[in-house]
Amino acid sequence: MASSRAINVLFLIGLLLVPFLWDSFVAYQLGLFLLYGMVGQGIGLCWGRAGFLPLGQALFFGVGAYVFGSALKLEAGSLFLIAGLLAAILLPALIAFVVGFLVFIRQIGSGPYFSLITLALTMLGFQLANSMDWLTGGFNGMTGIPALPGTDTYETLYYVIWAALVLVSGVLAYVGTAPFGQLLGATAQNEERLQYFGFNTALLKAIAFAISAAVAGLAGALFAPHQGIVTPQSVGFLLSAEIVVWTAVGGRASLMGPVLGAILIGFMASELRDSFQYWEVLIALVFVIVVIRFPGGLWSLVEGLAHRLPSFGAKGARRRDIETDKSRANGPVRLAFEDVELVLGPVRILDKLSFRIETPGVHSIIGPNGAGKTSAFNVLTGRLKPTAGRIEYSGAPVGGLSRHRIARMGIARKLQIPSVFPDLSVDRNVDIALWAGDLTLTKMFTLRPFRWSTPLLNEMYDIFPFLEDGRQPAGSLSLGQRQKLDFAMTCLTQSPLLLLDEPCAGLSSSETGEMIDAIERIVGTTGSTAIIIEHDMQVVERLSNHVLVLNQGALLANGAMEEIRSDPAVQAVYGGGSK
Amino acid sequence: MKRRTLLKTSTAAALLAMTFAGPVTSAFAADDPVKVGILIPQSGPGGLFGPSSKNSAELAVEEINAGGGILGRMVEPFYADVGGPPSDAIQAALKLWKGEKVEAFIGMHDSAVRGALDNLFKGQVPYIYTPVYEGGECADGVYVLGETPAQQLEPVIPWMAENKGASKWYLIGNDYSWPRDTNAAAKTYIEASGGTVVGEEYLPFTADNFDSNLAKIKDSGADAVLVTLVGGASVGFNRAFASFGLSDDVTRLGTLIEENTLAGIGAENSQNLFSSAGYFANIDTEPAKKFADAYKAKFGDDAPVLNSLGESVYDGLLLLKAIADKAGSLDVAAMDKAAEGVSYSGPRGEATLEQRHTTKDIYLAEANGADFTVVETFSKVGAGDNCQ
Amino acid sequence: MELVALQGLNFVYISLTLALVALGLAVVFGLLGVMNMAHGEFVMLGAYSVLVVQNAGLPFLAALPLALAVCAAVGWLLEFFVIRHLYRRPFDTLLATWGLAILMREIVEAVFGRDYKSVNQSLPGTVEVLGAVYPAYRVVLMALMVAFFAGLFLWYRRSNTGARIKAMVSNPALATAVGVNTAVLARGAFIFGVCMAGLAGVALAPLVRVEPYMGIDYLLSSFFILVVGGLGSLAGLLVGSTVIGGSDAIVSAITSKTGGYMTVLIISILFLWLRPNGIVSRD
Repeated sequence: MASSRAINVLFLIGLLLVPFLWDSFVAYQLGLFLLYGMVGQGIGLCWGRAGFLPLGQALFFGVGAYVFGSALKLEAGSLFLIAGLLAAILLPALIAFVVGFLVFIRQIGSGPYFSLITLALTMLGFQLANSMDWLTGGFNGMTGIPALPGTDTYETLYYVIWAALVLVSGVLAYVGTAPFGQLLGATAQNEERLQYFGFNTALLKAIAFAISAAVAGLAGALFAPHQGIVTPQSVGFLLSAEIVVWTAVGGRASLMGPVLGAILIGFMASELRDSFQYWEVLIALVFVIVVIRFPGGLWSLVEGLAHRLPSFGAKGARRRDIETDKSRANGPVRLAFEDVELVLGPVRILDKLSFRIETPGVHSIIGPNGAGKTSAFNVLTGRLKPTAGRIEYSGAPVGGLSRHRIARMGIARKLQIPSVFPDLSVDRNVDIALWAGDLTLTKMFTLRPFRWSTPLLNEMYDIFPFLEDGRQPAGSLSLGQRQKLDFAMTCLTQSPLLLLDEPCAGLSSSETGEMIDAIERIVGTTGSTAIIIEHDMQVVERLSNHVLVLNQGALLANGAMEEIRSDPAVQAVYGGGSK
Repeated sequence: MKRRTLLKTSTAAALLAMTFAGPVTSAFAADDPVKVGILIPQSGPGGLFGPSSKNSAELAVEEINAGGGILGRMVEPFYADVGGPPSDAIQAALKLWKGEKVEAFIGMHDSAVRGALDNLFKGQVPYIYTPVYEGGECADGVYVLGETPAQQLEPVIPWMAENKGASKWYLIGNDYSWPRDTNAAAKTYIEASGGTVVGEEYLPFTADNFDSNLAKIKDSGADAVLVTLVGGASVGFNRAFASFGLSDDVTRLGTLIEENTLAGIGAENSQNLFSSAGYFANIDTEPAKKFADAYKAKFGDDAPVLNSLGESVYDGLLLLKAIADKAGSLDVAAMDKAAEGVSYSGPRGEATLEQRHTTKDIYLAEANGADFTVVETFSKVGAGDNCQ
Repeated sequence: MELVALQGLNFVYISLTLALVALGLAVVFGLLGVMNMAHGEFVMLGAYSVLVVQNAGLPFLAALPLALAVCAAVGWLLEFFVIRHLYRRPFDTLLATWGLAILMREIVEAVFGRDYKSVNQSLPGTVEVLGAVYPAYRVVLMALMVAFFAGLFLWYRRSNTGARIKAMVSNPALATAVGVNTAVLARGAFIFGVCMAGLAGVALAPLVRVEPYMGIDYLLSSFFILVVGGLGSLAGLLVGSTVIGGSDAIVSAITSKTGGYMTVLIISILFLWLRPNGIVSRD
């Protein structure tokens, strides 16, 4: 938001003035907490935006400090120093990327396990730093690190630190606004849904983690000349926990909040330490209160004041002026289920399910509750792995692949419960759908994708006019509107195969009519294949020529609506007659 | 006319300024207090020595000032907490040095902080390091009061061999420089006394279960254990040691087992436990008793118990005064020139500076319930070869 | 031979004590999903209860009711004022309990001081077990722990409360729908968990150092045990403590304590990465 930009700039300017308003010694002391604040900003990117909490950032901080400290000690010229600085930034980033990627691809949801892994890694790092004293100086630390050439540690190094803070803040601000940052936010809100759009969320999170590690490494690199010594405590759990606390208190979802937290809590604590005996109790109390009552941290209080400020920055309507070509491979979709089985524990959910769909248009899957309809979608889209059997899509096997890979093959899915990204605006939700499958890693870091548009998008605005009111958060839409948005997003991916799970659930009868029209129109325009799961026979009748009836995990009947209606087996199942 | 007035007034002003500025060499006028920075741990693992250190410092300041101060100036102490990581300690020291313009430092903290402070001070300010440590500190402007492994072990290990039959030694300590250096020195003395080393182990700071170590000690047939564990590990190890019944047959010698650790170990677990240090609360000499009485009078019966680490700060101030007196100033270059051979008397006895370290009396004490009883005093033990 | 017997007894002892310490967290984290970073501090409260009782001249066993009372009271306050609001916010629970842990440590330090306290051994002396000389207190403690775990296992399997807890854990909405008062049950489970931690503190007080910071190591090892063993079952808890305690004991016996410590960390990382549901998955 533009007014927070003003506050951020004011804050940075204020920091620059510290040596003049106080003295250079105060600035020297403050510099240390600016460095810790930078580490916190990296944590803010992971935790505040992407929704996973790294508990061991000091590992990267310490690695950066040891690496650059060694480079400084060697005193081998500026080229070597630059190489050392790059190593201090890139080595932690590499470690973080590998660790993050390996952990995130294994499980969805970034729960406590990732945090505990980072915690254990930092403890391991601390132990190694202590033991490998030939490399790190051991318990006594790497001493005798000279000042950064060209700076005086107590006078001018502060400006170098300030410049690094500005750089990091600028980069993180940009990354946050760019499509990459938006996708991170989407990951935090609904990771699974994002995967159905073809995004490899594990990769996204790993990159975010790597960025945070690079920031921590840079901060560590400047720590070395600032302190003149690097000890294993700079790698350990206690420092990591402290920085997390400062980030939480300052405000993890804001750009400068972590810096504020480090200054207020960290710097103040070191001042209070001598005068007030129970300063730790006070800080712990503040911390607990902030966590419970102000999840946005102290920065959110600052921003509350900021709303009084005039806001500047880009305003005006969104310009969507870049036509992207999202047309997929033409020709009819070929989907085949061959003897697919899904057994979970004692329950046989899918029992040798076999069918083929080879024509475009709308097909429907119906059946009583528990027949396995949604489960069929689940094995098709990678949510579950079939126990046996074969699923083929346009000749390629699909069973057991990951969600995002299947999505990229051209299968889009709309879940039963309308799943949008509630904290993002409607416009942003639409963006994500447009980006699906076409947003490369490099493009993610540019601003151009915000201007993408397709002819289908204009058609969507025509069918669902409420979409044009793009600034409102998707979470504030009514249930019916969220269904429509979800549907629109699914279609905007322009995937050849659309899987719609109860698209009319929860809609009023007029809304249902609208949805039926929309489905008909879209499928007709794009020439795609849609498979609908529905309970509402009116919808099924109007839309589809081809109907599949599932019962107890197997195909019961297959054909046009009239055939199905008159099939005695189907009647028995729906009538509740036989077993 | 105007120019002459200007010249006269400016000359007068200059003369006035010079009078009030005083002689160029001494930056401080005769009645400015001597600001001494006292760096002690008040938080972190060393924090439990904070109260006794602070009290000892206060007592020393009071007594020194009563005797006229240092070089005729009263001592004004400034305390800072250096119990945290070295980066915090640097900030604390800097605040005193550049902020309060402290002229000398007394430091009671671990070697990691010492290394950081050496790098900070770079010999520009006198710095007295007081606690027991591993030896080898030779930086300009630094004077070391504390016991070195050579001091603590050279006379003691032969005594143990002779009086306790200690011949098979097991060495166990935490994994960092002080225990390793101590054990390296210990090995030479053990061999010299005819003994052998039957085991050597280093534990991480986080270790709190010593059962496997105790089993190995038992299995090795050791009859003596040299303990260089610190803090909680020392307490835990010693308690477990006794609970396994090892204290009946195996003698323990520690070089950092002081009154607080002993309290943690507990009277029932301290049989056959010896400690070698430069100070104990129960030393029977006149100066030590006088000090203990003065401490009790000033701080009461419930005061934090006296121990070698806390008391070392008292001695540190005495040493500062002694060097400054001999040098005639607090300027670090003058002090460095005058330091060699300076001696002073305190609760520990008489100590003499040699190669920046103090040659002094070493006391070997045995744990006796909740207290220590000195069983042997070794006088004027050198600190070994630290600086060539 | 005595060495082997001793190392074997150590192995059993470490596994049982780790399980006892982690039991409280198994309930709170495994069943309720609350990452209670103040878990170690409840162990500390239990240990200090023994100290208080000892200073008052009362016998060792009087510490049990005191520890339970203190932990239950603090636990109730914690749950009611803090945890209850944060069941859906795991990271915030983590932070809030971390802050509370700091508070608890500081308060204990203010009251008792930072120095190491010693708790007297109420059962001194050694006995001979399998040819090894072993402290008597530990032998009694191990026997009691085995009996305790067996009893707990049977109770959880057979009792109504156990069934209700299982229902609440697997499907809270449905449990509420059939009349299980999940709020009260959750509170009860939380209080039970922290009381178990206090109990562990009482049992261990004569054997370890007693000081305000003693709890942190127990916290971390408890988390790792639960991850390796598997959340939500007693079997998982015991398996986890055996694996963690065992690998520490074995590697330490062969190489050094540092090696043992790093082995535990690496095993924990591997499990967190590859098998976060642990060895005994609840499924």
